[in-house]
Amino acid sequence: MNAPDERPILEARGLTRRFGGLVAVDNFSFSVREGAIHGLIGPNGAGKTTTFNVISGFYAPTAGQVFFRGLDISGRKTSTLAAMGLVRTFQGSTLFQEFSALDNVRVGRHLGARARFLSRLLGTDRSSEREADAKALATLAFFGLEELADEPVSNLPHGHQRMLGMAVALAAEPRVMLLDEPFTGMNPEETRRMMALVRRIRDRGVTVMLVEHDMQAVMNLCDIITVMNFGALLVEGVPEVVRNDPAVIEAYLGSATANGANDAA
Amino acid sequence: MPGTGTGKLVRRIAWQLRLVFLFAVLAVLPYLLSYSQQEIAVLLVINVLLVSSYRLLTLTGEWSLGHVVIMGVGAYASALLAKRLGVSVPVSLLLGGGIAAATAAVLSFPLFRMKGFYFLIGSFAAGEIIRLIWKRFTEPFGGPKGLKRIDAFPDIDIGFLSIDFFEPVNYYFLALVVVSASLFVLYRIERSRIGLTFHAIHWQDRLAESVGIDTFRYRTLAFVIASFFAGIAGGLYAHYVGAVNPTRFGVDQMVYVLVWAIVGGTATFHGPILGVVVLTVINEIVLRALGLDTARPLIYGAILILSVLYLPNGLESLAPRVRERVRRWRSGPAATGEGAG
Amino acid sequence: MDLLWQTAVNATYAASYMALIAVWLVMIFGVMGVINFAHGELYMVGAYCVVFLYAQENFPFLLAVAAGLIFVGLVGLVMERTLFRPLRDNPLGGLIASIGFLLILQTLAVFGFGRRMGHVPPWTQDKFEVFGAILTYQRLFVIAAAIVLLAALWAFLKRSKFGRALRACAQDAEAASLQGISMNQTARIAMFIGAALAGVAGALTAPLVSPTPYIGHSIIVTAFIIIIVGGVGSLEGAVIAAVLYAFVHTFVTTFFDGVVANIVGLALMLAVLVVRPTGLFGAKERA
Repeated sequence: MNAPDERPILEARGLTRRFGGLVAVDNFSFSVREGAIHGLIGPNGAGKTTTFNVISGFYAPTAGQVFFRGLDISGRKTSTLAAMGLVRTFQGSTLFQEFSALDNVRVGRHLGARARFLSRLLGTDRSSEREADAKALATLAFFGLEELADEPVSNLPHGHQRMLGMAVALAAEPRVMLLDEPFTGMNPEETRRMMALVRRIRDRGVTVMLVEHDMQAVMNLCDIITVMNFGALLVEGVPEVVRNDPAVIEAYLGSATANGANDAA
Repeated sequence: MPGTGTGKLVRRIAWQLRLVFLFAVLAVLPYLLSYSQQEIAVLLVINVLLVSSYRLLTLTGEWSLGHVVIMGVGAYASALLAKRLGVSVPVSLLLGGGIAAATAAVLSFPLFRMKGFYFLIGSFAAGEIIRLIWKRFTEPFGGPKGLKRIDAFPDIDIGFLSIDFFEPVNYYFLALVVVSASLFVLYRIERSRIGLTFHAIHWQDRLAESVGIDTFRYRTLAFVIASFFAGIAGGLYAHYVGAVNPTRFGVDQMVYVLVWAIVGGTATFHGPILGVVVLTVINEIVLRALGLDTARPLIYGAILILSVLYLPNGLESLAPRVRERVRRWRSGPAATGEGAG
Repeated sequence: MDLLWQTAVNATYAASYMALIAVWLVMIFGVMGVINFAHGELYMVGAYCVVFLYAQENFPFLLAVAAGLIFVGLVGLVMERTLFRPLRDNPLGGLIASIGFLLILQTLAVFGFGRRMGHVPPWTQDKFEVFGAILTYQRLFVIAAAIVLLAALWAFLKRSKFGRALRACAQDAEAASLQGISMNQTARIAMFIGAALAGVAGALTAPLVSPTPYIGHSIIVTAFIIIIVGGVGSLEGAVIAAVLYAFVHTFVTTFFDGVVANIVGLALMLAVLVVRPTGLFGAKERA
């Protein structure tokens, strides 16, 4: 499973996204190797979130293409991408707050639990639904949340909600998971547990790409890191290289000073 | 404990007993009513289907202002099919529902490019266009005066059994059968994975989309199903009253549907049904008795405002609150430390 | 040619009162995030102020208009305090509550004046010709009043402190409150002016339309078309859209009929909703 594949599973070529006069992503290219944990970092406003939103089909690219398993997927709907095996998570606790934990994951099993309209009406979808429920429970167990299956989401602590968000995505059986800031707002202990989970997800054969601000977590976790600045590629490489790259250090320092100035004002 | 086998069985039996009791009451009810009250009961049964089908649409989080017009589409379609093409009424009723559903399917292309407030206004505009078309084109829609002398439901006469559906009691039972069957289908849909998916789209459409739910398709599905049953309600209405016109499906009528749904509470299946029943009873018994018929819109308006302000989850949410009060009162002020008030 | 010119003059009159009504529906949406469905009924109440004071009690016309302005403005304040403030976090609730309020105003009008058209005698029969088209002084007065009121509003919004606060709230309520602008105060003022203007429009046009308690429906439909076409939240857009729609509507009415004109207007609105939900003149969508 972990054998590196030469052909990238996810690739962007010359990706550009404009909003009116603002160029959020500017001729940006990268490629993600199958089986990797790939980090996408950059100072605030570098265009990471926009890049994620373009890859996951929330925005169409203004120019350039995204390839997934060799197919041009630029501008396709998010739900189509999910059916192809590209599933994203969201920042914070974006969940079906009114549902129980199990129902959240059951919704995540949407693609795996197909049935005809009539059999839904007549209840003959029971066997496929039972299977979906079993798989949903197994996914919850993978995250250690099976005890909380019937708990309404709004009762769960923040850390559990974040894991549940990953469980919903994993239930869709993705080939590639896009994680949007999985460690933000977590304490060091929660971060460590979450990092272990991301590795276990990768070990199940799921390629992981993540956007994250927690530098230490990214450096420890990722096999390869792409650094963005001003919407474009700055540096790409293994953590040791990226860490010591003068351009990266300058980009972060520059933004740190700018932030400091903003805060003071 | 909930979840154990026997507990489930007991609850199921209790539920079924309640259902049997309900149908027994519904079966006896018309014989306790006067002729004009029987007529009202028929309309009430039809309105139950109208408001329940509306609730299915609201499950996806979208509130339409065109639902009553869609009911009108079913009414006009079924009436015209019977009047002009001689289609027999039970068939035209189903076809009317189908045409209402098809209208919704076509409308969903412009309308579901919008959400929330824009969908509301868009559905209002679409509904008004349909109404204006009825008004403008005398052929075949009859213009502002609408259609009259719409074919009644055919009598059943098979020797030992003869039923004349001109009698309100008989039409009441006919409507009751059709509406009960429709409600059963609506209930099954909601309890299935389709219902779960509708709810999911309501609460987090982006998350739903990210796990492969085609939110456009499911919103359309909800709209089409809701419209089918609204169309059936429209057909039931047209063949009972015998006349339809554009004003009958106007915004005022839509407001009543909103009031029933909101006052009853859309969180549960039975909430809107409770809403339409309670408000109709209040309307017909209290207002008519007091001679306050013309004040109906005013009172509905006031009820609508009060329920939006003070009962955001509808009448249905009153029951647990009252139960809670009673429980506290029984256990005494000391037990809760807050007092019984 | 004569007919075309006459229609254009008629359209100018229609544009003036439509703008007067739509502009503040937009402003109220901007400030409070709620669509006031009862806006058309505020127009209706303004018209009935004139029916009552001018046509029935023989007060001077202008006094009746002024009374309409103040009375409907006060009704607006009541709505703000009782409906929109408690429902500020619930825009759909606010809209639905305003539908309830609409029913109440309608029923009260029926109680007070009956269902039938209220007759308001013209306050002047005089008319004059503009290059061959006939324009009554009554209509000219509505046009002039609309221009003066809109200009005054524009100056108020751009120059005065309250005006700036209003615009700030309409653009970004949170940022405005951080700058110490009181939401309640701003909403109160917006609602008062918005309602008062709808009332004035009703009062001024009362002799021209023969009001009924149900006239609000066509008014709100018109206002919706204008604000959607012009772009929700754009005052300038609302004025331009009012002019545009008034011309389209008046010309289609003259050369086809009123129902077709309404269908065209609604179809135009649906088309804008589909193609460009932010309106023809509204701000472009941001990331």
